[in-house]
Amino acid sequence: MSRRTKSPSGVIDAPLDVAAQAKAREEGRPSVRDGRLKTYEPGANVGRFLELLGRRVSRPLAVSLTACVHCGRCAESCHYFLARPDDPTMTPVWKADQIRKIFKRHVDWTGRVAPWWAKAGTPDGDEDLNRLKNVVFGACSACRRCTFNCPMGVDTALLVRFTRGLLTELGIVPEGVFNVSRDQWETGNQMAVTETDFLETIEWMRDDLRAELGPGADIPVDRPDCDILYTINPREIKFDPRSIAHAARIFHAAGASWTLPKWGWDQTNFGLFSGDDALGAYVSRNLYEAAERLRARRIVISECGHGYRSTRWEGYTWSGYDQKLPTESIVAVLRRYLEEGRIVVDPGRNLEPVTFHDSCNIARSGDLVEEPRQVLRRVCADFREMHPNRQENFCCTGGGGLLAMAEYRPLRLEAGKVKAEQLKATEAALVCTMCHNCIDGLGDVIKHYHLPMRVVQVLELVSRALVLPAGS
Amino acid sequence: MSNLLRTFENEVQLAALAFMGLVYALRLVWIFRFRVGRERTVAVGREGAGTGYSLMNIAMPWAMESTRTHPGRYLEFVVLHLGIAAAIAASFIIPYGPGLFETAWVRGIFRAFIAAAGLAGLARLARRLTNPVLREISSPDDYFSLVFLIVWLAAGVLALPDRPAAGEGPLLAFFGLTAFLLVYVPFSKIGHYLYYPFSRIYLGRTLGHRGAWPPAAAKSAGAGPARKGAA
Repeated sequence: MSRRTKSPSGVIDAPLDVAAQAKAREEGRPSVRDGRLKTYEPGANVGRFLELLGRRVSRPLAVSLTACVHCGRCAESCHYFLARPDDPTMTPVWKADQIRKIFKRHVDWTGRVAPWWAKAGTPDGDEDLNRLKNVVFGACSACRRCTFNCPMGVDTALLVRFTRGLLTELGIVPEGVFNVSRDQWETGNQMAVTETDFLETIEWMRDDLRAELGPGADIPVDRPDCDILYTINPREIKFDPRSIAHAARIFHAAGASWTLPKWGWDQTNFGLFSGDDALGAYVSRNLYEAAERLRARRIVISECGHGYRSTRWEGYTWSGYDQKLPTESIVAVLRRYLEEGRIVVDPGRNLEPVTFHDSCNIARSGDLVEEPRQVLRRVCADFREMHPNRQENFCCTGGGGLLAMAEYRPLRLEAGKVKAEQLKATEAALVCTMCHNCIDGLGDVIKHYHLPMRVVQVLELVSRALVLPAGS
Repeated sequence: MSNLLRTFENEVQLAALAFMGLVYALRLVWIFRFRVGRERTVAVGREGAGTGYSLMNIAMPWAMESTRTHPGRYLEFVVLHLGIAAAIAASFIIPYGPGLFETAWVRGIFRAFIAAAGLAGLARLARRLTNPVLREISSPDDYFSLVFLIVWLAAGVLALPDRPAAGEGPLLAFFGLTAFLLVYVPFSKIGHYLYYPFSRIYLGRTLGHRGAWPPAAAKSAGAGPARKGAA
């Protein structure tokens, strides 16, 4: 690690906080006891890190580690660098170089021959690994914008996730990453929602729905042989159950056959953020097996950026599970319902100016760019683009699991400057996004930069515009 | 022509070329030793289209914000690489097709390309030395590769054979530097063209599979295999 470069933010020197890890060990938490969740042990971490590095590098990673020519074209694509244009440590290339130099020194024989010539190096000890942790967890939201702007096709976001995974194996992680991983390992969901909480919240929403639509309306749980297995974000249970009610209203209006599973309902996956493929596999397998168990014909993912990417794409690879069922976002379903005339909407019910924020995990690492726009144009009277948009959109600041890492919040909000400018220029009253992380990330930016707007989701706008059949 | 120059133009070049080929072969073996995961999802888009888009990205300055918003830098990139290609071509034409350079305008075009590339290289070097961000990320190899390329391109301009009075010196210098370049390239950043197809293909294949590349309009169906009776 380069010691002569210090980030003025101090993020790179943030200490390793292992209090939660020590407590989990003391309490004998099951995920720690059985070794699924690693905790930090001072000592031979550099050796173990190098051993893991050599063993886990894949070919796409190896070429991303060797192909960089240090042209610096990635710098201006990064919202961290745009907020701190005089700080080289905020450039994607500098961040990627922190793992690249270790790779060159220990895996790539060109760096072994003359390490100083290629700036190859070895971490001196745990202190250096902690600094590496702060770079890959604290100064990058893995939004992949730099990847899309690299002339060589270097996938820096992939390198960041890979490095996070190595450090997670050593317990050298931010406290928030440890806590959320622990919860997801032990309860099957990121927010430690118990089965009772889950069922009670659903019951509450079901009662509200029936009060509005009549006794025929339902939010089914564990109903077999449905067309749709609907999977959600635990944030919907904990903080925003109305989004489940919105989906239920629309499914009811469309006459859909659907169910939530009692187990395997969490479509989010902290393994994507921590780089822990084993956690990624565990969570996604829970969900795929729920669909099999209930003989569902389709998996539908509620609005969530990383959840969509994890469940639709990465989860199948992590879990070694060949895709058997159609797996899609609720937004794709909404678009289909509108196209097929299964739901009727009145855009006059959404009169405020609305703009759309593309989630990084959906637009750059997934495939849904036009679909949400097609839906919004049908349900909003005044839809306007922000610029840049689609695959060139900037991160909400909350990507990469950063919302769970409080120690990096000041830098994250500072880096939100470009997002704030984007939002402000639209003069919209509502910013719509199809991601729960983005709701909180954008909410933080809006509050921090005093913007007169609020965040909504596609489901909310469609539900608001929904014209229910007479008698409902 | 002296024996020394003849040897430089032929045996030395071929030996250097063979060495480069050998190191590249070893490099390819090294790259292929790393595993590649199996894709388990059903494609939304076409991997071939994504790969093609990814590989051609460099020829589409409008496709990336980083090139679209800096047309001057993109032009510099094109000029540098065309000039390098011209200099490499010259190192073969001089010994094996000297007749081509007997035409003044052909020599002129080659010289213009090579000289322009040298200027582009100088601009890059100046930027790398003066921009604190670029300085921080640069390694000794980054500086040396650039300086060496500039010197080699300058030698190329001087070596084009229309100045017999200058003697064999410029040619000896050009072919000596070319031989060194061939030997040094696989160990330096200049060898990035070897990795370019790999990094581009893997990225393009993944994003093509997911329907993200090439950027396209909404898909009518893309969720994967349907089970009978699905809504």
